Amino acid sequence: MSTGEAGSAPAQLPVADAALVRRTAGRLALEERWWLFVLIGVQGAATAAGLVGPAILGGLVNQLAAHRETARGIVVAVAVFGVALCCQAVLTRLARSRSAVLGERILARLREGLVDGVLSLPLGVVERAGTGDLLTRSTTDVELLTTAVQRAVPDMGIAAVTATLTVVALVVSAPPMALVLLPAIPPLFLINRWYLRRASAAYLNRQAALAQVNSRLQETMTAGRTIEAFNLGERRRARIEEDIRSSLRADWATFRLRVVLFPTTEACYILPLFTALLAGGLFHVAGILSLGAVTTAALYAQQLVGPVDILLSWLAALQIGGASMARILGVGQVPQPEVTADEPRSDRLVARDVHFAYRRGRDVLRGLDLSPEPGRRLAVIGPSGAGKTTLALLLAGVFAPGSGTVRVGGVEVSKIPTERLRAEVALVTQEQHVFAASLRDNLLISDASADDGALWEVLDEVDLGAWARALPQGLDTPLGSGGLVIGPAQSQQLALARLLLANPHTLVLDEATSLLDPGAARHLERSLGRVLAGRTVVTIAHRLEAARDADMVAVVDAGRVLELGTHAELLAAQGSYASLWRAWTRDSAASRG
Amino acid sequence: MERVRPSLLLEPGTPEIDSSGRFLIWLARRQRRYLAVGGAYAVVWMGAQAAVPLVVGAAIEAVIHANRAAIIGWSFAILALGVVQAGSGALRHREAVTNRLLASSCVQRLVARQAIALGGDLSRQVAAGEVAGIGASDVSNIANVLDMLPRLIGAALAVVGVAVVLLLESTPLGLVVVVGVPLAVVTLGPLLRPLERRKRAQRDEIAAASSITADTVAGLRVLRGLGGERVFSRRFAAASQRIRAAAVRTARLEATVAALQLFLPGVLLVAVTAIGARLVMAGDVTPGTLVTAYGEAAFLVLPVETMVDFAYYLTSGLVASSRVVRLLGLRRDLEFPERAPDLGSGTGSLADPESGLEVGPGRLVAVVAGDQLSATTLAERLGRYSPANGGREVTLDGLPLSSLTLAELRRRILVLPKEATLLAGPLSDSLSPPAGRGASLPMEVALSAAAATDIVDGLPEGLATELPERGSNLSGGQRQRLLLAAALRANPEVLILDEPTSAVDAHTEAEIASRLGAVRRGRTTAVFSSSPLLLERADEVVWVDGTVLARGRHHDLLAHHDAYRELVARGVESSPSQEVPT
Repeated sequence: MSTGEAGSAPAQLPVADAALVRRTAGRLALEERWWLFVLIGVQGAATAAGLVGPAILGGLVNQLAAHRETARGIVVAVAVFGVALCCQAVLTRLARSRSAVLGERILARLREGLVDGVLSLPLGVVERAGTGDLLTRSTTDVELLTTAVQRAVPDMGIAAVTATLTVVALVVSAPPMALVLLPAIPPLFLINRWYLRRASAAYLNRQAALAQVNSRLQETMTAGRTIEAFNLGERRRARIEEDIRSSLRADWATFRLRVVLFPTTEACYILPLFTALLAGGLFHVAGILSLGAVTTAALYAQQLVGPVDILLSWLAALQIGGASMARILGVGQVPQPEVTADEPRSDRLVARDVHFAYRRGRDVLRGLDLSPEPGRRLAVIGPSGAGKTTLALLLAGVFAPGSGTVRVGGVEVSKIPTERLRAEVALVTQEQHVFAASLRDNLLISDASADDGALWEVLDEVDLGAWARALPQGLDTPLGSGGLVIGPAQSQQLALARLLLANPHTLVLDEATSLLDPGAARHLERSLGRVLAGRTVVTIAHRLEAARDADMVAVVDAGRVLELGTHAELLAAQGSYASLWRAWTRDSAASRG
Repeated sequence: MERVRPSLLLEPGTPEIDSSGRFLIWLARRQRRYLAVGGAYAVVWMGAQAAVPLVVGAAIEAVIHANRAAIIGWSFAILALGVVQAGSGALRHREAVTNRLLASSCVQRLVARQAIALGGDLSRQVAAGEVAGIGASDVSNIANVLDMLPRLIGAALAVVGVAVVLLLESTPLGLVVVVGVPLAVVTLGPLLRPLERRKRAQRDEIAAASSITADTVAGLRVLRGLGGERVFSRRFAAASQRIRAAAVRTARLEATVAALQLFLPGVLLVAVTAIGARLVMAGDVTPGTLVTAYGEAAFLVLPVETMVDFAYYLTSGLVASSRVVRLLGLRRDLEFPERAPDLGSGTGSLADPESGLEVGPGRLVAVVAGDQLSATTLAERLGRYSPANGGREVTLDGLPLSSLTLAELRRRILVLPKEATLLAGPLSDSLSPPAGRGASLPMEVALSAAAATDIVDGLPEGLATELPERGSNLSGGQRQRLLLAAALRANPEVLILDEPTSAVDAHTEAEIASRLGAVRRGRTTAVFSSSPLLLERADEVVWVDGTVLARGRHHDLLAHHDAYRELVARGVESSPSQEVPT
């Protein structure tokens, strides 16, 4: 890797191309082909039963007009109509419920596949691409795809079968009348092509504009205190009015598409009936067609409108569902990083001549060397923007260096498979997460095989034991959103308990205690001390006392290590560390003499 | 056509919020013109569709009598009806969209204005979950009612018209259709309620699964860093299978409803055919009338369904309306005068008789409190976010804060709370709050004083970078520095900062401490903090715990008060092994 870029981690998640979406849909259809055949058969039978009515009515009109009908004939005709109706109802129910079973099976597979894909994303990709896009894909896109699969696909399938059979029935019952359908086809085709080229963009735009209004409203309601403190009310109001105006414009833009589409299609739908009556009537007068055939054809022409309308009106949703599927499948296309089978030969972590840039030509680290002594504590301090956090990410194997090496026991850290890396190096950041799960499950993530005894032991070690024992449901107490919401200090202690269970030999701590109030931090430091004991620790330090307590201190600035030594050595060297330390402690030192 | 109908930007006005029904009626009255016009188009649109079977029957009669002129005439009449239907349909749709958007934008604006007026009180009075729905689903549920209303009018008139025409043609056939169709549609009603229940159960399962997904994604760094993927994959799979089961249950019932939607009107068609055929045979009606009755029986399903749907939408609309009405009825906890004499710029001298804290004009005072909670309570009181105890009010230049209007108070005293957040949108927006009295500070000065210049430089588009909600792509320390910059930028007469550097590293904190005094020169500032770097730079440090315990320069307090020393020098004091080198 000699480019100076962030390894192979893309800054954005990929989107599958149309061919892959088609292939996947085709593969799913192929796997379920038997079910599909059965469904088409059942739906076909239901439609055929539904076509009996107009034929019966046509026959009756034919006989009645000629005064040839008998009372018995009517009874037979009505009985056939009734039986056909019952068949139609039963078969329709069967086709619909079976198609839902099939559709839901496919949907479940797609969304579970997505979540598994999310859970196997390389750390570097998660770090770089962020979680916003991932969240959209796993919620909004799944929803859009669900609509398509739950409603559009079965409705369109049924409508397609129905429309086809209706046309066949029309051709069979009055062959020349099939021609009446032709005039409607070109305008319908053209108008729908016109519409579909614009619809997806317009509807997604409308959805985005509405989402913008909703999230701004939501933020206004939840961030009321900030808005009030900064006196932002008036400006906020203007912003929301602006958002509402764009949402209205986006909504109106979709209306402008529909206002062309709807009347054109509605006018097209009447064309077959018009032609059927006009041509059929004149054919009948000319003796070419029976009265019954004309009646039946006119009714079929009207019956065809329903399925064709369903077919056309779902096209846009299908298109949008396809785009969502492309984004969902994209998550699975993230390349897995290169891994190695080599086992580290020791616990020693060494960074040598490390260069790293998030964007080409803008190096954050510039030839950094660092080698923490195993079992000892190294504090890294330096001004904001010095590259401290980036260094932590490289030491923990989240990113691979652009050039140079970061190795543990001689093996490149970023190439150790994630599952094995956990036993070597763990990164602890200030962003902790309490999962919406029981306390037990919150701990088990780092060691699924741990028994309750082990869990209580680590809870005691981080001073959470007493707290946990006081909980009404003990280890089974649900935490996180929807459960017991715990404070930042306890979240940190929980995170430390997880670390104890994971038991890596090296810890990289990034700003771990900084978000806590002074009282809590003191409490936490005791727990932290127990977690750190006996491990190699690299602390990205905020508070200077952490630096003083460390075995070694590295001052990092502009992507390099500027000063390295023990606290005492650096003080004696009178460099930047010494002057910072003086500012920090002058008064307390003075007060003690 | 216009980009958007100008009438959509109608001012909301003052809503009637006595009850959910009153609110819907108020909304309807507000847009009655569009409802009336939409209703008229809907009548023409439904009427054209209702007329088609009549004309088809007449055309079949003409075919039976081999009347060429009549065949041609009636065929073109069908075509004309199609054109009328298409045209009035488009116009009706235009009014329907207008009505929906008029209602939704009105509710959105009312909710936004109310939320702004309530400010920080809103989240205190209402749970976050409760306001969540108001943004999205309640607005659309209310708007649907107004969207549907004109169609209801069209449907009702169409049903009446068809009934009259059919009864005139043939009483028995007319009765079958007029009584049968509503009966068939209404029979479906009882099935719709369990269907609604199952749909809700399905939505709940979907919500449960998406909260697992959201939770998984939010904690993905932890999961990938420490493990637990398999547990979460299993949890999601279980939730996903529950969705599948619920969706299949819903779909089964939906399939039954769909089958009955075919069957019940179908029974009617069979009945019409049977009765009609006998009537034709008896010579009471013509074959054309039979075809018409058949066609009307098929058509009437649409308007009757519209009526049933409306009842459903109205129910949801009333529920949504009651939630909106409740929000609109909330009032602030504290009263503020509407009007107050303009006192001009004061000196900015702040005093809290309850604790004895006084912040002299133009001074930089650091406040050290025994615990966080009491510090925050005090900071809130200094900005009158919470009421004074027993009438001992905080005063600004000798005047009690309750004599200031809300706008005046927030302009003169800016309290930067710990829970302050960055807002979604361009960063420059968050960094440019309206100025207090006088000019705001130049951007570079504010950024540099808050040691935030490097954050802005590091963003892809600098100040123009779009932030996500809460600025969640930035670290806690970065967010804190940017919020501090925003507060400094506003340059208020009195600035109260609650732990402004708690998430900032020592280097940066030292930078901020060294610049704060200069940018606030001549203006009053109170900083709640226990950081030695900040305390050392303050003109005066006040140590409070309920009431003022001591005041003076930082090193004097250190020298004379052991408890104070323990509180602020804890890092150094609590060191177990090493002594501070001197």
